[in-house]
Amino acid sequence: MIRQAWNEKIMQGVFFVAACTSVLAVAFICIFLFHNGTLALSEIGIWDFLSGTVWRPNIEIFGIFPMIVGSVYITAGAVLTGVPIGIFTAVFMAFYCPKKLYRPLKASTDILAGIPSVVYGFFGLVVIVPLIRDLGQFLGMGGNGNNILTASILLGIMILPTVISVTEASLRAVPSLYYEGAAALGATHEQCIFKVVVPAAKSGILAAAVLGMGRAVGETMAVIMVAGNQARIPSDIFQGVRTLTANVVIEMGYAADLHRDALIATGVVLFAFILIINLFLAYLSRSK
Amino acid sequence: MKIKSLAAAVFMLCTLFSGIDSARAEWNASSPVSVISREDGSGTRGAFVELFGVLGEIKGKKADLTTLDAQITNSTSVMMTTVAGDAYGIGYISLGALNDKVKAVKINGAEPSIENIQNGSYTVSRPFNIAAAPNTDNAVALDFIAFILSPKGQEVVKAGGYIPVAEQKEFSSAKPEGKAVVGGSSSVSPIMEKLAEAYKTVNPNAKLELQVTDSTTGMISALNGNYDIGLASRELKAKEIEQGLKPVVIATDGIAVIVNKNNPVENLTNEQVREIYLGNAKTWDEVSK
Repeated sequence: MIRQAWNEKIMQGVFFVAACTSVLAVAFICIFLFHNGTLALSEIGIWDFLSGTVWRPNIEIFGIFPMIVGSVYITAGAVLTGVPIGIFTAVFMAFYCPKKLYRPLKASTDILAGIPSVVYGFFGLVVIVPLIRDLGQFLGMGGNGNNILTASILLGIMILPTVISVTEASLRAVPSLYYEGAAALGATHEQCIFKVVVPAAKSGILAAAVLGMGRAVGETMAVIMVAGNQARIPSDIFQGVRTLTANVVIEMGYAADLHRDALIATGVVLFAFILIINLFLAYLSRSK
Repeated sequence: MKIKSLAAAVFMLCTLFSGIDSARAEWNASSPVSVISREDGSGTRGAFVELFGVLGEIKGKKADLTTLDAQITNSTSVMMTTVAGDAYGIGYISLGALNDKVKAVKINGAEPSIENIQNGSYTVSRPFNIAAAPNTDNAVALDFIAFILSPKGQEVVKAGGYIPVAEQKEFSSAKPEGKAVVGGSSSVSPIMEKLAEAYKTVNPNAKLELQVTDSTTGMISALNGNYDIGLASRELKAKEIEQGLKPVVIATDGIAVIVNKNNPVENLTNEQVREIYLGNAKTWDEVSK
């Protein structure tokens, strides 16, 4: 009897330690980022760092405003291309899909989630970039295809699995009474879905979009390969752009001293972005 | 109804694509040059801007003035794929990585080749450096460095498509036993792999471990003793030499300026390349003016 109680206590401890791992990891990452990042921020000046439009590390000019703009543009582009397709796919899967088609459809979205991002990047580089390059030349916009539009389309595809699965789950969580009630009042299938069920799942769908946004902000490898990575503010969507993540990865290998600290500070800004998105998500799920 | 809308969708896609396809016309010299560059701090980029003088002064400091409109990549493979697909692209890569998917232009009339680099007519090249951990007593590491600088080691360098060093010392291995860790620049790693293989036939007692990272990591790790030998595809920074690293040049690598195969340009002068990368020559007919 006593031994069993001991065993239980010990195992409780093991579970507690396991549960602490992720909390500790977040805490350590915060400490590391802010400790190293604030060094550079105080030396460069927070305002100069955030609002500076010139990034020339070899003469110690560090302004990441173009990269902030880049991350915002590409994330917005990904949401614009990915979220509508994702929501319509989820609606199709939840309400229209023939039983035979459901399994392959579900399986293919799951596979989409599992493809490594460098493979997406290579696909984008070899398939999407030439298409957009031709489109740009056709429209007289020029550019070589490594631009905001390409990155947005590619990221739109990459956030599909997140958007689809979260949206589908939230659609299915709407009690069937809603649908049946609407149908009993004489609404058509389409009216039931788009006027009653989808609005009822509103907060879940919004959460799906925000989660997709989080994925898009943090994506690195695929974006580096197709976005062009110019550290300047673009004037149209056929120009290349550099994101915060790309800025860190591209230059980290060679950076030293203040340059290195500035890259870590870029990580701090990225971290702040993700925090804001998560806070927003927490707010959404609370207001449900 | 469904079939009609489907047919309409297919038709729209077809017209869109055929329209786009017809845009893929002949070479048009008034098109903008798409400039592609390596990332800031890359050994290849450092050597490139130095050699072509893509430099200027900002606030009294010597600075790399590569145009901010240049597309940036941190990989040779992305650079080559982009130039191979973009008729108006221009980029630069290590001579050893050159293949027939892209065209290497002549610089000042000289073709990029080992012979031309050796006889001095092609001047775009940079050293590959290695640096042993300061005060190391790792016999394998020291023996391996001596092997690299011997005629036998330099033969491997030449076979790999790089330019051997002029001063070669005869060497016979003391065949020390043990292990050495070699690591650093991903540009130097391919030739280092071949050198390590060749060394194994000379001294089967030794074990060499190769780690591929980058130039800066290679130097830092050599300093703190994680690597016995660090690799760098650039000149060592003053600070690194101050801290006790002694660079040894083991080979010279040419840098090839590459354009698309459909680009009729065969030859560029130093000045033209410089104007392109400074962003002053924006279209291909401005370049050849």
